[in-house]
Amino acid sequence: MSMHRRVSTLVALVLASVSAAPAFAQGTVVLPIADAKARQAVEREIAQAAAKGLPTQPLVSKAMEGVTKQATGEQIQVAVASKAKRLEQARALLAPSPSVAELTSGADALDVGVPASMLKQIRAAWPATQSVAMPLDVLTELVARGIPAKLALVQITNLMARGATPSQIAALGSSVQADIASGLPPDAALEVRARGVMSLLPSPAAAASLAPTRTGPPR
Amino acid sequence: MNEGPDRMIERVRETLREAPMVAPDQRAVARLLSAVWASPSPSRWRRVFDAWRVPALSGLGAAAVAGVALLVGFVSRGSLTQHSPEGTMVVGGVETPVMLASNTTRDAGDAAAVLTQFVLDDQTARRVSLVGEFNDWEAGNTPLTRLASGLWTVTVPLLPGRHVYAFVLDDRLVVADPRAPKVVDADYGREGSVVMVFAR
Repeated sequence: MSMHRRVSTLVALVLASVSAAPAFAQGTVVLPIADAKARQAVEREIAQAAAKGLPTQPLVSKAMEGVTKQATGEQIQVAVASKAKRLEQARALLAPSPSVAELTSGADALDVGVPASMLKQIRAAWPATQSVAMPLDVLTELVARGIPAKLALVQITNLMARGATPSQIAALGSSVQADIASGLPPDAALEVRARGVMSLLPSPAAAASLAPTRTGPPR
Repeated sequence: MNEGPDRMIERVRETLREAPMVAPDQRAVARLLSAVWASPSPSRWRRVFDAWRVPALSGLGAAAVAGVALLVGFVSRGSLTQHSPEGTMVVGGVETPVMLASNTTRDAGDAAAVLTQFVLDDQTARRVSLVGEFNDWEAGNTPLTRLASGLWTVTVPLLPGRHVYAFVLDDRLVVADPRAPKVVDADYGREGSVVMVFAR
């Protein structure tokens, strides 16, 4: 087989696999919203988001959530529009190049009432190459459980600065969740569990020497 | 490793059989063997590149492979596989279905999915489904199986992170998981549940 043919085969394969998913995700979704006017408005909203380079899957999902929950067309329209707005806001706050997971997590954080500035602080606490989706998810969950956002942010960014892994940060969120469910006050649950994770991490000096680039608590 | 007659050796033997009978030059044989042993073995990259040498793959074949890749792309988006169980696993000594959630990959680059079990104790429901952003909230995509105990269960692969979900009873009633933390749904006014998924 000639080099030319090998290359063309490879190109065909790459193009096919790269183009398939976005084409399905962006273009041909038919939303089962009974209210035709609302459906068109939602589809317009999704198309506008796509034109802005925002991920459309979270918007489709939000619309489908409304369908499953038997919401009115107007409710679905409003919910999708506000989700699009939060995704756009999250993109600006998590610049320069947030992943879809980070955008979704950022939008969810804003949804539960995490102040916008905290998304920036979380982003600043880790190198740009490392996903902050998990720290954002844990922050969202802690705030949703009634922990003041400021307190939750301090604990999470301290753990990030000390080199905690996403799994360790997630474990914190999960443990606090369980503690609160079993009756512990939210603040106390966070303090004790953060201390527990911290005890597993290297000392600050060791963490600093291991840190690849920028670390440290947010200003 | 002896795997029977080698075709190449057979062909060489047949070709040489037709050649005039001459005494082999031992030095020439030695030089030939030395040259073979002295030549470096192909690098890993060379072997990978050579693996692409598929003489039978014509333009038509390439198009067929591309078509298959397209189909795989669509399937991987969940358009075909999301409605059927992907298999079973034993959880707590009981075989339970494992479903592939259509939107498991919020971001494929972040981490591997973690099998996560959901359980509901509802003796009156005839059908129960799991819904969440991971399956685009589509009721019916991820049905739970009723066990002999009367408990409903399903296990799905979810990416690490925070997932909001609910159960749909009899294709209509959306309920939160009574065993999990709740979350307020400001958009649609119905309570949901939260699960934090992480690799242990």
